[in-house]
Amino acid sequence: MNKMTKDHVGGALLLAVGIAVVVAGAGYGVGTLRQMGSGFFPVLLGALLTLIGVALLFSAGRVPGSDADEAPAEMAHLAGPVVQWRGWLCIVGAALAFVVLGEHGGLVPASFASVFIAAMGDRGNTVRSAAALAAGLTVAGVIVFHYGLHLLLPLFTWS
Amino acid sequence: MHDSLMQLVYGFGIALEPHNLMWCVFGVLVGNLIGVLPGMGPLSTISMLLPIVAVIAPVPGILMLAGIFYGSQYGGAIGAILLNLPSHPPHAVTCLDGYPLTLQGRGGTALGITMMASFFAASVGIVVMIFLSPLLVKAADSFGPADICAIMLLGLLAGATMARGSPLKGVAMTVFGLLCGVAGTDEISGTARYTLGLSELRDGVELGGLTMGLFGIADFLVSVNRTTVNPANARVSMRDMRPTWAEIRQAFWPMLRGTGVGTAFGALPGTGPTITTFLAYALERRWSKSPERFGKGALEGVAAPEAASHAKTQVDFIPTMSLGIPGDPVMALILGALVMKGLQPGPQMVADHPDIFWGLIASFWIGNVLLVILNVPLIGVWVRMLRVPYRFLYPAALFFIAVGVYSTRNNLFDVAITAAFGVVGAILLALEFPLSPIVLGFVLGPQLEPNFRRAMLLSRGDLSVFVTRPVACGFVAASALLVLLQLLAWWRRRRPGAPTSAR
Repeated sequence: MNKMTKDHVGGALLLAVGIAVVVAGAGYGVGTLRQMGSGFFPVLLGALLTLIGVALLFSAGRVPGSDADEAPAEMAHLAGPVVQWRGWLCIVGAALAFVVLGEHGGLVPASFASVFIAAMGDRGNTVRSAAALAAGLTVAGVIVFHYGLHLLLPLFTWS
Repeated sequence: MHDSLMQLVYGFGIALEPHNLMWCVFGVLVGNLIGVLPGMGPLSTISMLLPIVAVIAPVPGILMLAGIFYGSQYGGAIGAILLNLPSHPPHAVTCLDGYPLTLQGRGGTALGITMMASFFAASVGIVVMIFLSPLLVKAADSFGPADICAIMLLGLLAGATMARGSPLKGVAMTVFGLLCGVAGTDEISGTARYTLGLSELRDGVELGGLTMGLFGIADFLVSVNRTTVNPANARVSMRDMRPTWAEIRQAFWPMLRGTGVGTAFGALPGTGPTITTFLAYALERRWSKSPERFGKGALEGVAAPEAASHAKTQVDFIPTMSLGIPGDPVMALILGALVMKGLQPGPQMVADHPDIFWGLIASFWIGNVLLVILNVPLIGVWVRMLRVPYRFLYPAALFFIAVGVYSTRNNLFDVAITAAFGVVGAILLALEFPLSPIVLGFVLGPQLEPNFRRAMLLSRGDLSVFVTRPVACGFVAASALLVLLQLLAWWRRRRPGAPTSAR
């Protein structure tokens, strides 16, 4: 994606979100400047967002190429394809696994699962290395968080 | 001034109390480590340690957070110089001349100079803070809600426009942050706003969840399977780090100039450390009689930006502590942490809680001394940590994030929120939106709205109050000027053949 298309997408996104915010905000009662309702501030913000979205879409077609005089890419140390479904699914999955297992299994299964799943997102990790990492971190976690910091999440829950 | 000195002595007493000192050391160590490791910046680390702050007393808590902040500045230079790996954007500049120096076998010298510059600059920053803050506090006593609104507006605008990338996008992200702050229950009316029908969101988005998602998880999503690290060149011995007198002399004036830049910009709300270091570097290069040496291992190119960064870090605390207006996202986060403890940084805080204010200032000095002492022997350790493969680091970090975010409100849902913000952050990064203004907006939003409401209530809906009150008018004018400057820059860029900024 060159920068122009990125700005098109970005602008459209802002536009969409802005409109949604305004519509929802209006439902909270806007009120007047003197007596601001719950919706005043949000509608204001949403309108602003929409305007910026329009401006961005407008400039996306016009301003040629790059803002290249800005700081060097902080992502300069990254290489390889941007799209990483395996990594993405594993990372998000790991976080969700923590939530679900934390609720229904306890700290221990949640810890193990989240580390394991997250580690599996990296192509350099084998099942064994991921499992080892997960085991090690679970043990460390139990010691530090449960016994050390008295984290309220129970070690095991049966539900 | 005599008064300030007495307060300072008092502050040292507080900072040197064993309990407080312990947390300060902890913060400094963690910050230094974080600074060395790529990916986790002070923002993510402070978010992760927010749960600890929730549990311990305010004084050690804030000392720890501050320690993390300036500790990470020290650490960042190490990775930048030795491995050409800027853990954080401000240190990208240090790579330009730092890494070539390492390749010439002078990495140790570069580090030594950096440490000197950093300590000097931090000291200057602290002195400025000591004398400037009480003045600011006195001035702020007369501020009304309209004035506060105007100041926040300037801060938000400055943060939005001076961050990396397109200022328009910066403003958009600030607004997005403000909106995230709105989500939850409206205090005045009790209406649930933007809670998407989820009862868990009635208490709003949790600060740690937002920041860990945007800066932690989003970073993982962007970096997974894509990091490249070059571990060679990382052998440094302690003796290497002592620069010769000639080298010190070479670095002296750049150090001073860098400190000047950092101090000047630190006081301005909204300017980030990245801009400051870049400016210091650019200035140094333009000042130099032999600019062609830059980029190939010029010591000035390391001394100036590092000095700027450290001076700025210290001075950054001034508007945050004395006015309650954070100068950049990390300050915003620290402000959020203070609010979490029931404190409201600003003019009242210095009067009501002198132990926190002056203890904090005293701890800066102690912390900086500690960092210099610690970094000399610990260099080897940091470098070895840099060798831990990313594929082990990020799952561990994710785990700590999950636990940390959960523990702040004992709510697993917050972890899901973190994941959501992680996805949002990754998308925004892909679309080249800056993320730091979101934090600024999120933290200031809950204060901006009530102040605006109050201002309008007092003026009976009359917007002109923003121009009739002198303080408010001044800040509104400054904001307008900022917008104008941005528009001018944009206009100039539209013309073909517009000069690109030399670097």
